[in-house]
Amino acid sequence: MIDLQALTQAVGDLDEKTIITMIEDFVATNPSGEEAQKIVFACQQGMGIVGELFEKNEYYVGDLIFAGELLSKTIDLLKPVLNDVATEKVGSIVIGTVQGDLHDIGKNIFGSMAEAAGFDVYELGVDVSPSAFVEKVKEVKPQIVGMSGVLTLAIDSMKETVKAITEAGLRDSVKIIIGGNPVNEDACKQIGADAFTTNAAEGLKTCQGWVS
Amino acid sequence: MTDAIARTNERNQLFKDLFSGNTPKRVPISNPATQDFAIQYAGLDLAECQWDLTKLEPVYDKFCQDFYTDTYPGGSIRIPSHYQILGSTPIVMSSSGFMQHPDVVGMLAEEYDEFIASPYDCIVETILPRLYTEFNGPPGKVAMALAKAMKAQADDLASLGAIRAKMNAKYGFATMVGALTEAPFDFMSDFLRSFKGISGDVRRYPDKVAAACEAVLPLMIKKGTLPNPSMLGYTFVPLHMAPYLREKDFAALYWPTFKKMVETLAGMGQSVQLFVEQDWMRYIDYLYELPENTIMRFEYGDPKLIKEKLGKKHIISGLYPVTLLQTGTKQQCVDKAKELLDILAPGGRYWWQADKSIIHLDINGPVVENLRAVLDYVHENGTY
Amino acid sequence: MDTKYYTTWEEYLAEHPELEGKPEQAIAPKIVKYEDAMFTFIMDLLL
Repeated sequence: MIDLQALTQAVGDLDEKTIITMIEDFVATNPSGEEAQKIVFACQQGMGIVGELFEKNEYYVGDLIFAGELLSKTIDLLKPVLNDVATEKVGSIVIGTVQGDLHDIGKNIFGSMAEAAGFDVYELGVDVSPSAFVEKVKEVKPQIVGMSGVLTLAIDSMKETVKAITEAGLRDSVKIIIGGNPVNEDACKQIGADAFTTNAAEGLKTCQGWVS
Repeated sequence: MTDAIARTNERNQLFKDLFSGNTPKRVPISNPATQDFAIQYAGLDLAECQWDLTKLEPVYDKFCQDFYTDTYPGGSIRIPSHYQILGSTPIVMSSSGFMQHPDVVGMLAEEYDEFIASPYDCIVETILPRLYTEFNGPPGKVAMALAKAMKAQADDLASLGAIRAKMNAKYGFATMVGALTEAPFDFMSDFLRSFKGISGDVRRYPDKVAAACEAVLPLMIKKGTLPNPSMLGYTFVPLHMAPYLREKDFAALYWPTFKKMVETLAGMGQSVQLFVEQDWMRYIDYLYELPENTIMRFEYGDPKLIKEKLGKKHIISGLYPVTLLQTGTKQQCVDKAKELLDILAPGGRYWWQADKSIIHLDINGPVVENLRAVLDYVHENGTY
Repeated sequence: MDTKYYTTWEEYLAEHPELEGKPEQAIAPKIVKYEDAMFTFIMDLLL
């Protein structure tokens, strides 16, 4: 049987070879969906370690990106044995890079970490118009909307998007978090968001706090 | 001698002094707003003006007239025509008309060996065809696409150059030349392996990353060489990836070839301006090792610490937060300029620039008024 | 630079014996100028 603690540690260490070997060996035993679910949980805990090391400045953004890649590789390997298990979701988030901005690295890191933490993540892509945000919120009724941007113009687009969400009568049904290089407390207030972050791990914590 | 020529001479002297480590007569200023901002400020359509550059002369005239600056406020610009002709995927125009760089992969991990053997061959034969659609197809078609693109870019640069010459003649800006290059590791990351790709490579094949940086170093030095090193001007080097790396990866993979590049360029007698993007404070002791009079424009960091550690050897710039111009009152903006002047100007080696470029103008926002107030304040009070 | 896509003047001259005895001081800067212009153009596509 697979050593779950060792797997969690290997994910925390971002030790790709060990992780892949363990998962492949595990899948070869033709396990049940419930057993596979435990593996997913062990990997999520490993991602928790990654997040902690990031906060302690032992890991940096490059390591988070690599962690996200490892995790999606792992999930892909597990998919054949996971198929009919209903997974419990902790909440749902609509994310996108705001209008006029095409930068998606930060958003993708946040997205993969949120997914790893058990959120349903609805990804709108880049250069997303305020109306596209509104439509998606109407459709999937998420608890949280995450807006990302790197350019200084993103601040203005974020403001427009919050305005559109408010005008559609949806502002009270969602929490809004903004992330990216140009955001700070003043910008957050002006935009009318509930929280801001320049750090994906910290942003995730905020979101977890909202849905717990 | 006209007033404008006298102003150019005076401003050139400011930068000659600054770049050689002498204290100039006052703190020189560069307007952080860009051509994109100028087009919006003139109330014109961003996409249309970037395609029809003849519309830009009045745009620049108003821009130069209304915002104080000692250097021509053109900045480094990406013009769309040749990107369009070549079928660009790494540089595209967004819905709002800004030219941007999505994260793309120009080189696959299994192509490291090919790249290391001859970087330029690999660029021409493998990387460009992957990133630019028109580099694929019958040789005759590729040749024609390349010829059209080069001609288009040369025409565009000539149009912009003519406007620049007119503005210099009218407003008397400092006349500086520039070259653009990147740290080898950043070059490998930005268009070749992508942010995501390089982040994996650093852990999977660090030796190949190091070898690729060594292999591409001569190209980056050549790209950053000014037409003549004694000309007034600098090589502009925007720095990207270091803040996202662990220090041990930075020390092994980023720093060695970057340092060699800056030393080589400085050794030829030319100035180098680093745009130190993101927060480099944990690398500040590395920066100290770079050649004397390297210009460092910072995005983030503690100005006092930067002044204390680097201010006697290097030329400090940046740090003024442009988001404050978007969110603050005029008084707060001017106070911030004063605060930075008080910390960074004493003893010389300070050039007023902002932490980022301003590309977007919200016409209902306070940026225009705040920016003008700050530029005027620094112009009038920028003593060392 | 070890590449088939960039030629120094010396390499160029060796490949083009027809230029022997022609005014090198006028030809060399011209040939090198476009060699360099192409290099800069190509590299700018990746910066």
